[in-house]
Amino acid sequence: MWPDAPRHALGAQVRILDLGKPGHVRTPLYVRGKVGVIDQVCGDFENPEERAYGRVGGARIPLYRVRFAQADLWPDYEGRPQDQLVIEIYHHWLQPA
Amino acid sequence: MSERLISDVGGLPSGPVPREEVPQLYWEKAMIAMFNVLIAKGLVNLDEFRRAVEQMTPDHYAGASFYGRRVDGVAALLVEKGILDGVELERRALAILTAGTRDHVA
Amino acid sequence: MTAHDHDHDHDDAHDHDHDHPHGPHPTREDDDLELTYSEARYLAMRGMLIKQGILTGDEIMRRLAVNDLASPHQGARMVARAWVDPAFKARMMADAKSAARELDIAVTEAKLTVIENTPQTHNLVVCTLCSCYPRSLLGEPPAWYVSKAYRSRAVREPRKVLGEFGLAFPGDVEVRVHDSNADLRYMIMPLRPEGTEGLSEEALAALIPRDALVGAALVDRPA
Repeated sequence: MWPDAPRHALGAQVRILDLGKPGHVRTPLYVRGKVGVIDQVCGDFENPEERAYGRVGGARIPLYRVRFAQADLWPDYEGRPQDQLVIEIYHHWLQPA
Repeated sequence: MSERLISDVGGLPSGPVPREEVPQLYWEKAMIAMFNVLIAKGLVNLDEFRRAVEQMTPDHYAGASFYGRRVDGVAALLVEKGILDGVELERRALAILTAGTRDHVA
Repeated sequence: MTAHDHDHDHDDAHDHDHDHPHGPHPTREDDDLELTYSEARYLAMRGMLIKQGILTGDEIMRRLAVNDLASPHQGARMVARAWVDPAFKARMMADAKSAARELDIAVTEAKLTVIENTPQTHNLVVCTLCSCYPRSLLGEPPAWYVSKAYRSRAVREPRKVLGEFGLAFPGDVEVRVHDSNADLRYMIMPLRPEGTEGLSEEALAALIPRDALVGAALVDRPA
């Protein structure tokens, strides 16, 4: 089901891509271009970017939870330096960093 | 940088979080149940629904209530898929609204 | 058809849909509220779908009954069980859907993940893109959770938002935000308050407020 690319491993550093893809995506702007680590490998799910246009039953792709230091997401972050954020990102939005 | 979807609000400035409890109305629960039935029948899926909501104009998105957006998103999808006639849907909705009573469902 | 060809017994379990275009009474306790355009659109949609044979009023009512089983109390039951039963907790942390089934709770979302608060880490859940929430377990989310203000700010200034909810954490505690933006759904397992050692599981569950299950409240010790 997922033969093409190696999966990201738990703890690996990854950068969130900005694919510039129009239409429905689940990768919010605030994480694009940012570097985090794989916090959880969640299993394979159908791509919502396909399902959103009625194309159901397609290939399942890996979904990860990626964790960031809040200070890396927001230059003006007012909380504490140890604060973190975790978000779900599909495989094709990630590259090793 | 890509264009921001109207739903993509993470990190935008905003005011205090409204803490008032807003009990769900009966029609809102029934509408959610209807949406669940449509999903279970494979006629629509959640990702399509999210996409339909994102295709609303910013004014529409901002002006509609949470459940109003749900109604409009489902309606847009059913019309897009040819399941419902959009003109007929609006005619009936206006007739119901004009009658002002929930008995006039015809 | 006429405007009055359905009964008014308001009995969800005994509607007589069959060939009628509109089936069971579409409204109930809010009958005295003014009809809005959104509700009128829903009623029109529902009427057309039934008339076209795409669904029935019975199907909607049956689903409504299933949805009504979900409530914050169901999540609280899971947390209370996990507080008193370490083996259950281990199963819940590994596979929350299966653990829910042990308590006769049917979670229908693809994947439910329970995240445990600790003295070192406080967790908060938000869906910035829409309103993802473990609905089949906890029911519909509270209004604050779906507000634009919460969706916008929880990721950028979680400590300020938590402050508005009356929660403050010492400087050495980590605040961790979980954006529930895709296929997983999250429930927070709050810290068990001190002084509850003798309480039954039911009494413990009753202590847990709805908002604690997404990290926007703590569980207070009983008064």
